Amino acid sequence: MSNDLEQLDDENELELDIDQTAEAIETKEVQDLKNELNKIIQPIVAPPMFPPHPVKCLNPQDYPESYNSNSKKEELVLQYVDNFKTQFQYIYPDRKTLFMAPYNECGIEKFVCTTIRPTVLKFSRLYDWKECAQFVSDYLQYQPLKESTELPQTLFSPTHTLKVQRGNCFDYSVLLASLLIGAGYDAYIVSGYATREVCNMDQSRTICPFLIKNEEKKIETKKKEMGKYMVKPPKDMNSKYQNSMEMKVKKKLEDEALKRKLEHERNLAELERPPADPLYGLRVHAWVMILSGKREVAETFFIETLTGCAVSTKDDEYLGIESVWNHKNYWVNMQSCIDGTAGLVFDLGDCSRWEYMLPSNDKPTLLVPNTDGIEDEEESKDVEKHLDLPPSWVNQIEITQKDFERRCPEGKKVVFYKKSKVEKFAPYLLKDNMILRITEYLDSEMKDLKQITEEFIHRNDQIKKRVINFQTGWVVETFDRGRSKYLKEHRYQQSKAGPENERIMYFYHDARVDGLRCREETPTEMCEHFENRPDFLYFRKVIFDKKQKKFGPQDGDNYRPILKIIERYNRDSNKKANDDIHELVFNIEGEKFQITYHRENSKIAPSTREFLKPPNWNDKSNTWTWNIDLHQTYQAGNENKHKKNVELYQFLSWLINQEESVKNLVRKSEEEVKSILNDRTHEETVTERTVSIYDTDRNEKAKQYKMDIERRIADEKLRKQTLDVDYLAPFLAEKGLNDKQPISHQAASELKERCLADLKQRLIEKANLIQKRYEAESNEMQKKQQWYQANQVNMSREDEQEYLEYCSEALFKIHILELRLNRHKEKAPIKYQEMEQRLKADPRLNQFIRF
Amino acid sequence: MSRLYDTVEPSVIDDHILKLCIEEQGPQEEAGNIARRDGIQYEEVQTLRLDFKNILRIENLWQFESLTKLQLDNNVIEKIEGLENLKNLIWLDLSFNNIEKIEGLENLTKLRDLSLYNNQITILENMDTLENLEVFSIGNNQINDYDFVLYLRQFKELKTLGIKGNPICEKPEFAPFVLAHLTQIIYLDYRLVDQNLRAEGLKRFEIDIGQIVSNEEAEEKKRKEKQALEKENYLNKEAYVEGLNSDELFLSLYEEDSEGEKLNMIPGADELLAEYRDKFVAVCKEMYDFGKSQKDLRLNEVAEFWKCLNDAKNSNTEEASAAINVFLEFKKNITEELNNSTDQVIQEAKLNEYNDEVNKLWDKLMSLEVQVVDQLEEIIRDFERNLGDMVNNFVEQIQGMYSQLRDLENIQFERLQELCLATLEKVIKGEVPDEFPDDLRDLFIDKDTVVNALQTSHDLHSLRIDSREDDMISKIKNWSSTMIEQIHDEEEYKRNRKRVIEINRLIDYFRDEIDEPADLQD
Repeated sequence: MSNDLEQLDDENELELDIDQTAEAIETKEVQDLKNELNKIIQPIVAPPMFPPHPVKCLNPQDYPESYNSNSKKEELVLQYVDNFKTQFQYIYPDRKTLFMAPYNECGIEKFVCTTIRPTVLKFSRLYDWKECAQFVSDYLQYQPLKESTELPQTLFSPTHTLKVQRGNCFDYSVLLASLLIGAGYDAYIVSGYATREVCNMDQSRTICPFLIKNEEKKIETKKKEMGKYMVKPPKDMNSKYQNSMEMKVKKKLEDEALKRKLEHERNLAELERPPADPLYGLRVHAWVMILSGKREVAETFFIETLTGCAVSTKDDEYLGIESVWNHKNYWVNMQSCIDGTAGLVFDLGDCSRWEYMLPSNDKPTLLVPNTDGIEDEEESKDVEKHLDLPPSWVNQIEITQKDFERRCPEGKKVVFYKKSKVEKFAPYLLKDNMILRITEYLDSEMKDLKQITEEFIHRNDQIKKRVINFQTGWVVETFDRGRSKYLKEHRYQQSKAGPENERIMYFYHDARVDGLRCREETPTEMCEHFENRPDFLYFRKVIFDKKQKKFGPQDGDNYRPILKIIERYNRDSNKKANDDIHELVFNIEGEKFQITYHRENSKIAPSTREFLKPPNWNDKSNTWTWNIDLHQTYQAGNENKHKKNVELYQFLSWLINQEESVKNLVRKSEEEVKSILNDRTHEETVTERTVSIYDTDRNEKAKQYKMDIERRIADEKLRKQTLDVDYLAPFLAEKGLNDKQPISHQAASELKERCLADLKQRLIEKANLIQKRYEAESNEMQKKQQWYQANQVNMSREDEQEYLEYCSEALFKIHILELRLNRHKEKAPIKYQEMEQRLKADPRLNQFIRF
Repeated sequence: MSRLYDTVEPSVIDDHILKLCIEEQGPQEEAGNIARRDGIQYEEVQTLRLDFKNILRIENLWQFESLTKLQLDNNVIEKIEGLENLKNLIWLDLSFNNIEKIEGLENLTKLRDLSLYNNQITILENMDTLENLEVFSIGNNQINDYDFVLYLRQFKELKTLGIKGNPICEKPEFAPFVLAHLTQIIYLDYRLVDQNLRAEGLKRFEIDIGQIVSNEEAEEKKRKEKQALEKENYLNKEAYVEGLNSDELFLSLYEEDSEGEKLNMIPGADELLAEYRDKFVAVCKEMYDFGKSQKDLRLNEVAEFWKCLNDAKNSNTEEASAAINVFLEFKKNITEELNNSTDQVIQEAKLNEYNDEVNKLWDKLMSLEVQVVDQLEEIIRDFERNLGDMVNNFVEQIQGMYSQLRDLENIQFERLQELCLATLEKVIKGEVPDEFPDDLRDLFIDKDTVVNALQTSHDLHSLRIDSREDDMISKIKNWSSTMIEQIHDEEEYKRNRKRVIEINRLIDYFRDEIDEPADLQD
């Protein structure tokens, strides 16, 4: 049929070609005539009798058999489905046909329930529905339905969808439902209707989910308990009337402000509303529903599979439900969807609301009093016998670790939201290991940048997140633990990144020896906040002077001069409040020390003390002298003892020393800031990536190590094999047996006997051999000796020498042979016993032989 | 006996030595000069070293009350004495002396480090009060039996023990034995304990140690029980119902009542007595419960009162403090301005402004104080009234119960009287059984004697009950009146005085402070 059509097309083309060539020759009249004729004759194209098959499978052999054909049971179910469909259409002619038996990728009709393949994947993260939905929405690329108001004719298997990494809303839902059911959720695929925005995955009007911040819980301030003896507040001398009038005016103003605000919001919403949709309510969509009950899900909700977000069942974006199904059954919605899905009841056991297809309904059905109950029961029994659902025809869903990590097709994905753009990247895809970038704009046209948020992973410098705010110019960088200076967060102005500028650094204070939590800097000030220090210091503020301009060559240390250092301490409960310093001011400019102690609970003012620096304090050659005028104090309590002069003197000298050490600390802090900034600039230019030691795929060292181990094991195995010569092998071969076969009792004992006898034989043979050699040698020796004695007289000196050499050699040989023989005699019985033991332990023999 | 005993005259701790030592060991150079000008106060000295002084007797140290560290090593001391006043002592070194007995350390409860190295000590004793002992050095002494180990078990804080150089240390199993018995020790003879050795010891002496531990536990349990009992008693006393939850009061009725006891021997009297006793004890129990519940109520009331009082005081103090802080900020600004400007007129104006502010602050602080005085006065009055009601209620109820007791006594008296008269008749008629006691027979001579005896017994009982009642009522009244008085005194009068003084001092200080730079400029 299709071939014919193609031929026809070809002929038409040919004709057209002739027309075109003729065109140049033809005159204008002819053209007119032709036009005239064309007007009259309208070719009538009849719709094709049989529409072309929606699926063309080019390589059916690549798919497993269950994809290419239907089993008998499946056929049966399909028949039943067809029957159900027809009946349904007959009873409800107004309703749309149900989505029940679409074609799969091989062009075979399959029942939708069997397309779901519940699977648990090896990734623990996918155990949670949020991660699962996010994964599906990231992994696939969306293809809208061909006809937005018609159900698709095909439904691909989840394995196919995973392979091609794209699909329509039904394919998305099948994959997600398979994973969710596998993870233990009570999940269903929903076929229904939704708005244009949902169907087109148009999120440009929704707020980016990454930007919705969790609302901070307001801590309710505890109301003060009213004690029995509460004091009465002092009398209020204000006029009540005046107060009430003021309140009225204030309230009026507030109301107006609120009103204006509301109006403004309404106007904005009006502006943003999309143009009306002519196909409103007709657009087909599919998504996933999770019923409450399993996996501690408290409330039924929808998951929009395209975006991976949870949606309330009362959301007005969803306009109706035709049917729902899972891997066990198919339910048709019998409730009216006039006001969307809001009014629906999701009790699938309720037959009046949900018409089920298969009677093997595991939902508790409502007991409806039945007039002809007996008949029904019989019928259902009858049906049950041949209608349980066949197992899924889809193969096990598999996702490799690599694909799981890469997530998005090509490893990246871009989504547009309201005034923002989200880009996702797979780890190790980009050079700087960025995994997420959210760009926020001020306007809907996305022209004015507002803020860029970038997230990183596996970075050597432990950077986690960077937020650049283009309106204020501030940059916020967040770091993980593990940096050398324990930096946690760094805020600075993009334009003024150098040292001694405005910045705030937060640290992991529990990791630092000095307990520094935060350091704030401006060009003339530096504040440090500490936590949990043993000396109770919690705050230090340094006020700098402007840097003096120096002429001439620069010295090594070009610091800002310090004007004042303020230190604050927490209360140390071991000390008296009067002796516990709260605030210590090193007024370097004014050559003063100002000390404020902690205030005692019963006192209204704290004690204070002030020292002037002695005039010659800096003179190293002379000790400075104490003068009572250097000191001034206010003591909060009368009862406090005055400090003695010695103590004051010692205190002042301590202060003078302390000032130096604190100054050094400040310089150190400045140095630290500089070094951190240097590190940061260096890190940003290099952007080293780290590989976790658990990431065996990327970690070269680990790979090497693993290969080494494998090789070593292989070597070991080889050596062992060569070492272990099977002593039974020749006898087994002789008997025509092999290792695997069980050996009969008789054969076993025979084997044993043979083996031992053989060993004995060999041992004796060896002994004989040695004995023989020994005898031969000694015979030779004797002969030689006789010969020597006979010819001793007329022998040359050389001959004699030769003879003596021979003798010593022969004696040595005989001696060795003697030793060998003796040792053999000793060893032979031991060897024999060893063999016996080994045979005893041999698993092939010892099942029968009891020694 | 001693190295130097024969050759050199032993010295005495006198003022001269002490001064010399203190000056030598105190602050040096400039600080030393200042200190000398200030003069030395013995009671402020923290540490003192009196070593190699050939001292024989510890004496004249009673003034050094705040001493925490005292070194008396390398002398010829024979007896530990004269340390009773040094209660703050943490570190005491008596090594290289001739001490034979541990004594005189009972008051030094804060002691953490004690060295008795190289002395003549044979037994550890008299150290039970040194609960905080951490380091104990007893090496080179004459200890030769294992009892010292058991003695040292009571020091839970002990970490370091120096024992080397005693005869006992020669024994082969010495180290494992000590380590096993003293598990709290971390350093033995200045070396970290070998855990293997300790494990070995624990294994070997398992049974002994188990015995010791169980004995100790039993003692601990007994001690705790005793404590609990004492506490219970104390609580009952606070509720003024001590002994009322048993038959203590009833028994006390017959304590010095010989006639009553005799009368109880009359046949048939024991039944009456039993009944009387049951009823009496029941009333006592009722009283006990009531007293307990009333006490809880009272304590709650008092706690509530103090909480509110302190809250009010604190919030008032906070407010005053906030006002002062505001002023301090102002002061800071104005001093800066004063320092910056040289114009006489402006300075004058600023000074006036400052003085105005000081006056305003004084007004504010004083009005706050007046306010809190009013508030406190009111709640104290309320409290006084409520507490008075409570006490009166208690007294009334208790009085009711005591009158019940008296009624019971009267009934018992009447019944006993009847019984006595009946018995008297029998006695006269000679119908009494043979086992009738002889001394009772003496009572039943005639009616008057019997009735007199009865009356005495009854009077005595009534007296007991009355005195107990008076005791109880006077105690509770005393309690409430002392408390109220104290509250008036402390919280109304003294607190106000203190605060007013503080305010005035502060204001004076502020005034002086601004005058000073002005003076300097003149």
